[in-house]
Amino acid sequence: MEKLDIVGQSKQRVDALVKVTGQAKYSADLRRPDMLIAKALFAKYPHAIIKSIDVSKAEKLDGVAAVMTAKDLPGRNGYGILVPDKPVIAERKTKYEGDPVAIVAAVNLDTAEKAIALIEVVYEPLHAYDDPREAMKDDAVKIHEQHPAAEKGNILCVLKLDRGDVDKAFAEADIVIENDYETPMVDHAYLEPDIAIAELDSTTGGLILTSAGQAVYATKRCLAPVFGLPQSKVRVVAPVIGGGFGGKEDSTLDVCAVAGVLALKTRRPVYFELTRAEVFRTTGKRHASYIKHRLAANRDGKIVAIDVQTILDKGAYVSMGGTKAPLHGVTMRTLVYAGGTYAIPNARARAYSVFTNHPYSCAFRGFGAPQVQFAVECQIDELAHRIGMDPVAVRTLNMLKDGDMTITGQIMKESRGLGLGECIQKVTQRIKWDQPIDHGKGPVRRGKGFGAFIYGTGIPLAFEGSSAFANLELDGTLNVAVSSTEMGQGIATTVAQLAAQTFGVKYESVDVVFSDTGRSPDSGPTVGSRSAVMVGNAVAEACRQLRSRLLEVAGKQFFQADPSTLTIKDGLVYVEGRPENAEKVATIAARAFVSQVPLSVIGTWFPPQPTFNSADGQGEPYHAYGFGAHAVEIEVDTETGVINVLRSVLACDVGKAINPAIVEGQMEGGAAQAVGYGLMEEPIMAAGVMQNTGFHNYMIPTTKDLPDLESVIVEHSNELGPYGAKGIGEPPLIAGAPAIRNAIYDAIGVKINIIPLTPRRVLEAIRQQAGQAR
Amino acid sequence: MTSDVQLATRPADVSARDRVDAAKNLVVSFVLNGKPLSVAVAPTELLADTLREGLGLTGTKVACGTGDCGTCTAILDGEAVRSCLMLTAMVAGKTVETIEGLAGESDIHPIQQAFIDTGAVQCGYCTPGMILAAKALLDENPKPSADDIKEAISGNLCRCTGYTKIIEAIDKVANAVA
Ligand code: FES
Ligand code: FES
Repeated sequence: MEKLDIVGQSKQRVDALVKVTGQAKYSADLRRPDMLIAKALFAKYPHAIIKSIDVSKAEKLDGVAAVMTAKDLPGRNGYGILVPDKPVIAERKTKYEGDPVAIVAAVNLDTAEKAIALIEVVYEPLHAYDDPREAMKDDAVKIHEQHPAAEKGNILCVLKLDRGDVDKAFAEADIVIENDYETPMVDHAYLEPDIAIAELDSTTGGLILTSAGQAVYATKRCLAPVFGLPQSKVRVVAPVIGGGFGGKEDSTLDVCAVAGVLALKTRRPVYFELTRAEVFRTTGKRHASYIKHRLAANRDGKIVAIDVQTILDKGAYVSMGGTKAPLHGVTMRTLVYAGGTYAIPNARARAYSVFTNHPYSCAFRGFGAPQVQFAVECQIDELAHRIGMDPVAVRTLNMLKDGDMTITGQIMKESRGLGLGECIQKVTQRIKWDQPIDHGKGPVRRGKGFGAFIYGTGIPLAFEGSSAFANLELDGTLNVAVSSTEMGQGIATTVAQLAAQTFGVKYESVDVVFSDTGRSPDSGPTVGSRSAVMVGNAVAEACRQLRSRLLEVAGKQFFQADPSTLTIKDGLVYVEGRPENAEKVATIAARAFVSQVPLSVIGTWFPPQPTFNSADGQGEPYHAYGFGAHAVEIEVDTETGVINVLRSVLACDVGKAINPAIVEGQMEGGAAQAVGYGLMEEPIMAAGVMQNTGFHNYMIPTTKDLPDLESVIVEHSNELGPYGAKGIGEPPLIAGAPAIRNAIYDAIGVKINIIPLTPRRVLEAIRQQAGQAR
Repeated sequence: MTSDVQLATRPADVSARDRVDAAKNLVVSFVLNGKPLSVAVAPTELLADTLREGLGLTGTKVACGTGDCGTCTAILDGEAVRSCLMLTAMVAGKTVETIEGLAGESDIHPIQQAFIDTGAVQCGYCTPGMILAAKALLDENPKPSADDIKEAISGNLCRCTGYTKIIEAIDKVANAVA
């Protein structure tokens, strides 16, 4: 096997230098003085009938270039990644407080804000729904009077998974564990606010949109009808992005739509940036969930069945929540992962996605997996305690192994990487799971907790796959172009390493163009922990083509040798084993160029076609799965309810770490977000109005909230991944919250099934338990 | 029917940024990244806006505008401050350092190098502010403990890294053998 000297190394990130020197240009840094500034008047009431809008005073204000309401739009007043149900500007009704009612472009921000303040809107407020369990009742007011995809009332969809004989298994089981769980909406809290710049494209007569978005091609496709333009005339560019975590797949549409229609109306470039409060109020969130989880097991610890009902807070629009096949989104994942990472022969799962007047729930690191796997990992801990078995041993006993079937009927294969066992082993060793912990005696108690997870690589949609360009330059350097975005996760570096390794030039000889529909082919959206594998494979495929073309020329015209005996390494071509007689790649490229050999290639890669039936939940939605184990040690102050995470050890099976430092970075960042998810983060909603819209009251972890985050990389190769890789972007977040919850139980014997575990919630639970004991 | 006339945008939605259209009738002189400078600004202009819009120094980021995140950190007379909360008028006669002033002609600053070497950079939006907060710390206290480091950057949010590698980078500079 080829020796890897670039893949597997912690190469310096291609964007590191410009980022530490402040030279990196994010969307906000591209603003020019000639741009108009846009502002939106967002809905005052999250659920209301719009009786009238008067923009006349705003229009008369000096410096205002355009005021638009729904009647002024150039194209379809609706867009969305899966279903075009979100209006650019609300017309008859508002459905959440992020619906724009009118939009303005003016010469500067002050004028734009003054104009917004002059717009008079008369509303008839309606009851605003905060709880999907209320909104799904028969007598609830329909939030969407007519929705293109909704099944019934406010119920967008009900997806089902059925496997085996669940009722029989429950009837015969020794133990049944039944609990309700709740997980919160969460804001992505990326530091770069949402921004779009829209400019007319003087060449095509269309639009150029520059925006921090995770899916440039999807943005083009979703918004072309909004602008009344053919897709070919919309170019979408994403500069480096200041964090996305799933949120900027959708929020970019919101800001691009507004900036775009204003640019078309005014024929001038338009800049639109959301304030932080607007980011909190108007952009997508993680789906809040309400889960009833029943688990049946035998006394020996073997799980025999699950029966799970998940109700998801859809918020106002479909976004990436998904509906029935083929539009799989978050809802579908709550079925796939309803049994966690365990082999369970009988399963029933129901997932309800229900509209409320909350911000639309969208993609967020983990796509539904953190919600249901929180429940599963709490359930399995309880099983362990009930039968007096070690929580880790119960997991090891039940975990999916080679040849086992998932609850969707997919057979697990070691050839695609099944590293959970090793993850569990490494984590338990490192945290010394076997050694008893001193729980303490005073008000501060200590405990240890554990969680495990499974997460599919890629997205289970029919189009899953990628394209990439590779262009060999005549000086022997290599240009690669992909439409993936660089939002900090390191895809540009990962792609450069894969290209350099596969083609045979130095890492420094590769430059990567990213996220520009005018310069890169469609590599798919930058979501679903898919890029290193899907895009990586497409890049590797392009580089293999180039390599074999170059070797062909080298064999015939330079070495008089069979190309298969030649190799390329560090930009030199030679007969294997004879590096002293080498020709430069540049020399051979120059000859190929004048020999009618194409040096621009497109590489493509498609995984086996994902399948999933939303009527019975059966199919093979992912070609490979990542796994991991997370253990924490915590301290509970029983007088204040404050939880302090003392240690966090996370192991992830990533198939192959193409850049170990980047993989560790993903793991540390995911573990940190898990602490936020488990302990701190929760939008406070009151009748659809978010109450905590700043970083001073929507708290995300700071240095003071986190321990040193320990990461262990485990590599069980995926035969279909580039150099064996599997996805790693999202998985690290999944098991942290249940591990913390389980550690609290270990510390003080109190079981809390609602996250975040805020001091108030912890204190209440302690008091309640004390009250019951009395 | 309840009806309501919406007259004003909610105060929390009013951005503190970019208010640069008022008359720029105030001349402020200060030292920026080692060079004396005079700029004409509006009396209400924020330092973050003067740096970014007026002087084109976009390395200073503005992620919140309300003093909560630290991405706009600059060093004012040796102390890390939030440029989104300061009026430019307040820096008259003082010394301001931004991320653009850190690298030398041929070399980047050791803190910048350490951030690269330890993999402390992901999306990079927090990075300039983090590096400046670290510099203010190390200039004042060249041998900080891990707790000192955590304290010094506790007002700088990072959503990507979990801070582990950032703390490691700062510690690496502090405890490098000279
Ligand atoms: S932008 Fe100044 S503290 Fe956030
Ligand atoms: S690197 Fe993204 S916020 Fe710190």
